Amino acid sequence: MLMLVRDQPRSVNEIAAQFDISQQAVSQHLHVLRDAGLVAVHPDGPRRLYAIRPEGLASVEHFLSELWPESLRRLKIAVESKKPRGR
Amino acid sequence: MVAEPISASVVIDAEPAEVYEYFTSVEAMVLWMGQFASLDPVPGGKFAVDVNGVAVRGRYLELEPPNRLLFTWGFIGSDVLPPETSTVEVLLRPQDGGTCVEIIHSDLPRAEASKHAPGWRHFLEQLAKTVLVGHGQNAEGQ
Repeated sequence: MLMLVRDQPRSVNEIAAQFDISQQAVSQHLHVLRDAGLVAVHPDGPRRLYAIRPEGLASVEHFLSELWPESLRRLKIAVESKKPRGR
Repeated sequence: MVAEPISASVVIDAEPAEVYEYFTSVEAMVLWMGQFASLDPVPGGKFAVDVNGVAVRGRYLELEPPNRLLFTWGFIGSDVLPPETSTVEVLLRPQDGGTCVEIIHSDLPRAEASKHAPGWRHFLEQLAKTVLVGHGQNAEGQ
């Protein structure tokens, strides 16, 4: 998703067209990226265009500090839902 | 300039060997991280995962099943963190009948580390809350 908005600003529709997930899910991802300071939103008439923030990419560290806790949370759910412990 | 390592941990109700698979098997990896993965879990083997459109690329360096993995990590197309330029260590330790999973992500470019330290503490607190809630739901669901 970051690669898509790297070269030019794009709308949610344009971004969603590239993924096999709902536009709502794409919007949620963009929201996370925006909160992380990795993308910026620019109004363009009725549309809102998303573009990369070059200075935001410098804070890859911040991106990862959100990615790892969230990923580990998903890991826990994946492992524990696959194999209930016999207790 | 290299920043301090980022770390994260979680306790999972499963044995280390079971959790270890989730770092080496494509089928298990995509259940928790990324939509596509290509993994060759041998020293020097490929570690490739696409996470929300970000192409993570690296190589496995050290594999010590079921307690430790070390692999490199970077992003295709990134000038800041190109493929294979940072290092992720995964430690799987038995704890309370389950496994404590600890991630230590090091060799990252320095990027406002001091600014984000308070944010990091916040995320860990959130993680602890989330895990407790998730665990309760999971136990009831089984």
